[in-house]
Amino acid sequence: MNIIALTGNPNSGKSSLFNHLTGLRQKVANFPGVTVDKKFGTLRLPGSGEVRVIDLPGTYSLYPSSQDERVTLDVLTNPASEIYPGAVVYVADVTHLEKHFLLLTQIIDLGFPVILALNMSDLAEKEGIQVDTRQVSAYLGVPVVSVSGRRGDNIAALRQEIDKLLKEKNRVQGASSVFHFYASEEKKVVAEIQASLNIANPYHALLLAHHHSRLSFLNNEEKTQIAAICQAAGFKDLPLQIAETMGRFSTYGPVLKRAIRKDGERNTLTDKLDAIFTHRIFAPLLFFAIMFLVFQAIFAWAIHPMNWIDQGFISAGDFLNRVLPPGWLTNLLTEGILSGLGGVLVFVPQIAILFFLITLLEEVGYMARAVYIFDKVMQQFGLNGRSVVALISGGACAIPAIMSTRTISNWKERIITIMVTPLISCSARIPVYTVLIAFVVPEDTLFGIFNMQGLAFMGLYLLGIMAALVSAYVFKKILKSKERSWLMLELPPYRMPMWTNVWLTIREKVGAFILGAGRVIMVVSIILWGLATYGPPKKMERAEREAIALAQERSLDEMATANLVAARKIEMSYAGHLGKFIEPTIKPLGFDWKIGIALITSFAAREVFVATMATLYSIGSSDDEATIHSQLAEAHRPDTGGLVYTPATSAALLIFYVFAMQCISTMAVVRRETGSWKWVFIQFGYMSALAYLGSLTVFHLLN
Amino acid sequence: MDHSVTQLKEGKFGTVRRFTDERMAGKLMTMGVLPGSKVQVVRIAPFNGGYYLKVDGTNMVLREAEADSIVLEVLADS
Repeated sequence: MNIIALTGNPNSGKSSLFNHLTGLRQKVANFPGVTVDKKFGTLRLPGSGEVRVIDLPGTYSLYPSSQDERVTLDVLTNPASEIYPGAVVYVADVTHLEKHFLLLTQIIDLGFPVILALNMSDLAEKEGIQVDTRQVSAYLGVPVVSVSGRRGDNIAALRQEIDKLLKEKNRVQGASSVFHFYASEEKKVVAEIQASLNIANPYHALLLAHHHSRLSFLNNEEKTQIAAICQAAGFKDLPLQIAETMGRFSTYGPVLKRAIRKDGERNTLTDKLDAIFTHRIFAPLLFFAIMFLVFQAIFAWAIHPMNWIDQGFISAGDFLNRVLPPGWLTNLLTEGILSGLGGVLVFVPQIAILFFLITLLEEVGYMARAVYIFDKVMQQFGLNGRSVVALISGGACAIPAIMSTRTISNWKERIITIMVTPLISCSARIPVYTVLIAFVVPEDTLFGIFNMQGLAFMGLYLLGIMAALVSAYVFKKILKSKERSWLMLELPPYRMPMWTNVWLTIREKVGAFILGAGRVIMVVSIILWGLATYGPPKKMERAEREAIALAQERSLDEMATANLVAARKIEMSYAGHLGKFIEPTIKPLGFDWKIGIALITSFAAREVFVATMATLYSIGSSDDEATIHSQLAEAHRPDTGGLVYTPATSAALLIFYVFAMQCISTMAVVRRETGSWKWVFIQFGYMSALAYLGSLTVFHLLN
Repeated sequence: MDHSVTQLKEGKFGTVRRFTDERMAGKLMTMGVLPGSKVQVVRIAPFNGGYYLKVDGTNMVLREAEADSIVLEVLADS
């Protein structure tokens, strides 16, 4: 299948064009041998049939500053790559062409068939910018199409050009370089690399000379060869790179100037808005106000959908109970799986709204402003301004947040961001917080206006944020690095969000959450249910006999007897044995063995807590209608007879969930992003220690 | 008169003459800050942070150290 790559500078509107070209036929996937996820989709063309389209992360040039920017270089210099494109569609912001031409000319020099898509033609129209596309096309030697990703203008023409380009594939391969004039050391190095590694294109060889030490697809022999060639010719990486960049600009600059006509200075809405949003004093206040509003909106807007979903699951439970025969399978379905799923899916509205608002902030361009506002502060904690984006998205889910750190070029800043982001309360913690807060904070208002439980919720979030900053500070002191750190960020103009982008992002993230959580909950519920219902046969029988005897002694009625038997049996089950085994370690925190089981199952994913509780407390319970809340409220300790979920225990448990690393998916992503298990263990270690100590402290303070 | 960007007051602008740091120069140029570019200091960030600049019409933010490495030619009355 033909492969085309979409590339260009950041903020050029690539994603909207990608969406226009591929529609809903797109996916995010991981390619073997490459550490980055790529967005790819398919495009159907009349002439070329099915074409795979890859959306490469934006970069300013083939001299990358961060891992994100490195991807384009890696892909375009590795013909053996699975995703080496046959052609490139270069997306440029027509209102800022001079800058966008740097990368463009580099790609053309690499010999790729290229189509230049001049995007944002609607903006150009508004700002009175006119480009003579014929002149530009003649100069570059590539077809040029004016499009607007925002309005969907001229996409058909773009598709036509792509079709044409793919058919006439034997274009401009390995030709001369039009935009770069090789210095003598460069010529020498290029000739030798071309000869020894059999490279057809001279610019390709030059890039290998500059980047060979960090290109993973080169083997050690090739790397040493290239290094030797460079050494012998006196090839100095940085000065030559600078000379090349300046050379390119001065080569195409004058030509471009003649082809573009601008009417007047642009003092736009963006400038006016930024006067407020990046104001020296008001900017941070405004930021916190916006975050607060986002927080409020999530809870306010989600109430009704949440009620519907809740009702839905209750009805489903009732239905199943009526239709299916009473027995263990029905129990498993209604009390284990349905209850557990319901307990988490009821939060989908909140999660969806959260993702929506965060994506909106990014789409509109506000996130870049947040980076700017807090960069200085972030540096005090060993972080980069860009870490703010990770910390905010961490409020939805740590996984995309951790992946977003690829834009941070300094290793130490990036690692610290990855290490502390999971301390930010993610949406999976919401079900846990909701259930437990009810046992710590009364349903009351403070001063008559502030909902106390709501305040407690906010408090937990703030606790996570503070823990993240403090931990970052500690890491900053411990880790040593001499590497330089950068901000250098372009602020895109504020723009109306592309609603299709937003919708697709939400659909992808929420879908992944539901499927992921759903799968884990089902598996854990089934296993747990089995472990909690069955146990060593002799012990189970004896427990039942003893329970019955005890019940007779105390003259308990039928229901009470059944409950006593169930309680004794579950203690003797496999789950019970496991729980009792770890109980000594968690007793100082005020936890009992059932909580212990919940901690074990939550290790997979936090949201499993609800399903676990539902299963453990409903097995054998004769009350089908009890909610999780009422079941926990009535749980008593066998030895003292007191309540299990006292404020002290519940608070300690809450704190545990604020700090603990309970997400296999996050650990998997950290492993992938850092390239080893070392950091996963460090992260798990320090977060577990924090959780244990935090719970211990809180329990003893409140007890 | 030569000034580094950090020596300019808010609202003032100048033309890029040269850079004082090779590494930064490479990165800055890739982003479009070139000798001859018009640079305006729009404002300074909260917490005494970075510089909000307009470079040839594009809005860009740089840390103090990064902005300091850009040397501008400033006309007497800009």
